[in-house]
Amino acid sequence: MAMQSTTFSREMANPFLSVEDQQDRLLVSVRDNWIFDNVLVLEDATASVVPRAGQTVTFQCAGLQDIDIAGAWVLYDRTEQLSELGIKSELTGFKAAHFKFLQHIIDAAAIREQEETLAKPERPKVLRGAVENLGRATSAHIEDLGEIARSILDGVRRPSLLMLRETIKQVYLTGVQAIPVVMVITFLIGIVTAHQAAGQLEKFGASVLVVDLVSISITREMGVLLAAIMVAGRSGSAFAAALGVMKLNEEVDAMRVMGLNPNQMLIIPRIMGLLIALPVLTVFADFAGIAGGALIAVGSMGISGLQFVERVAYSTDLTDFYVGMSKAPVFALLIATVGTLRGMQVKSSAEELGLKTTTAVVQSIFMIIVADALFATLFTRMGI
Amino acid sequence: MEIIISVRDLVNRFGEQVVHDRLSLDVRRDEILGVVGASGTGKSVLMRSILGLQKPISGSITVLGQKIEYHKPGPSRCWGVLFQGGALLSGLTVQENVELPIALHSNMPVETRHELASLKLLMAGLSLSVADKYPSELSGGMRKRVSLARALALEPKILFLDEPTAGLDPIAATEFDELITYLHDNLDLTIMMITHDVDSLFGICDRIAVLVDGGVVVGTEEEILDSDHPWIKSYFGVPRAKRARAAAG
Repeated sequence: MAMQSTTFSREMANPFLSVEDQQDRLLVSVRDNWIFDNVLVLEDATASVVPRAGQTVTFQCAGLQDIDIAGAWVLYDRTEQLSELGIKSELTGFKAAHFKFLQHIIDAAAIREQEETLAKPERPKVLRGAVENLGRATSAHIEDLGEIARSILDGVRRPSLLMLRETIKQVYLTGVQAIPVVMVITFLIGIVTAHQAAGQLEKFGASVLVVDLVSISITREMGVLLAAIMVAGRSGSAFAAALGVMKLNEEVDAMRVMGLNPNQMLIIPRIMGLLIALPVLTVFADFAGIAGGALIAVGSMGISGLQFVERVAYSTDLTDFYVGMSKAPVFALLIATVGTLRGMQVKSSAEELGLKTTTAVVQSIFMIIVADALFATLFTRMGI
Repeated sequence: MEIIISVRDLVNRFGEQVVHDRLSLDVRRDEILGVVGASGTGKSVLMRSILGLQKPISGSITVLGQKIEYHKPGPSRCWGVLFQGGALLSGLTVQENVELPIALHSNMPVETRHELASLKLLMAGLSLSVADKYPSELSGGMRKRVSLARALALEPKILFLDEPTAGLDPIAATEFDELITYLHDNLDLTIMMITHDVDSLFGICDRIAVLVDGGVVVGTEEEILDSDHPWIKSYFGVPRAKRARAAAG
């Protein structure tokens, strides 16, 4: 009988909505700004609208000042949640401008529902998928390597003028420009080695052997190793980054459609360039290292310059120099191949580029040291 | 008429080349302003100046009452930008790209963020099946739509579009124009659009700004067509512009 009985009415204070219980109907008056900035508060506010079973919820929106898509979504989302609980709700009192947003949401939601019910692809079994992916990746990798190796061989057989020019540029970039830094590093290592050796050898009264130690260790090991590590850091990363960016910019594709084989044009000059540059750098490194040793020997150990030179000539022969030099091309090949291959593996993203560049440096240094260990074993076995 | 963007006496110069010479321009609320001009007249430079990405030699720019300063945080909550190539972050999926601005500018829970980003993708006319893809796996047109969804993520008041239909086929371009009109009609948006697509220019723009001689000539379609400036005459005199105009009615 008394429809407007207020016995059950309950009022809630909230800047965004107020709730009025009218027995069979829960009247929610929505007001203020229902916009992106307020979404968190709005979600709480709508969550506090809890009708009893059988009640209809009416969202009265006439008092609304502003609403945007985020705000409309909160409102719509609550009506959806309620309808899942079997509670009917309606939205009334929209001004034209407000309604558009909500219509938007409802349209979009309808599309999404359609899409979600539409054919969801069957998920492949996780383990099987992983194994399959691993297999695919491995075979793709081997295929890539094969293709690159073949085009390199083809290219070496039929070198072009373009490749020659690029090679000269690479010799300059990776070799000539690296001379100062490589010389400074080996010079300093020469000093360090001499200092360390002097301390020990003086105890035996064999100070002069410092010269032997410095010159042999520099020529056989340290010179080429330091030069290679320096080059791996400088040029290995540069190769990977340069080729990676070219791939991202579609420059590599552009070369291909112009009839240039990017594997030949980009990889061969870098390998050739480094094959020339690293041995040359090694010579510079050897000289700088021995000079570092000389500075200590002559400067603080009382060995005369002439004595030093004589001692170097006596202790170190060309074989030691060749042992060191023979590793240079191998290291060069390792650095250039790893750097360029990693660069060519960049496919889609800037992140990948960074990752591949790092990998290029880490892997080439790792491989240099492994190769050096193999060389050391080999030369010892051969008695060289 | 409320002025949303106000550019005053903007001067931009690269070496000897003067791009903008005391250029002044107002963008009104709720309009779609088309910006055209020959190559090198500084359309992109103008947009970059407004966005605070370019340091002008002199002049002042105000957006929504806020003064724009080079590389200082501008009203980034209130504007969305569609860069020419899309400029999606290549290391993130489509979904993450659209969620990024929401995550940066609010403390919404992941679920809400996710829902809102999905809505924006749908609004931009994309299907949700692209959500987990990476930008490199999408076509150029789809990338633009994702970029538009990202631009709309924060419910912006102003939308900047840099050649939105460049590189799209005529069907996709028309659809994109329709999408922009639809969003403009529904979302209380002010749009500044650089375009060379005469169909968009006549089809959806309320006013046209032509960059000439370091300055700008602004007006409605009729006003611009009445201009005596030789470049404007020749630009709108070419057959394709005439056809586009006829098509737009």
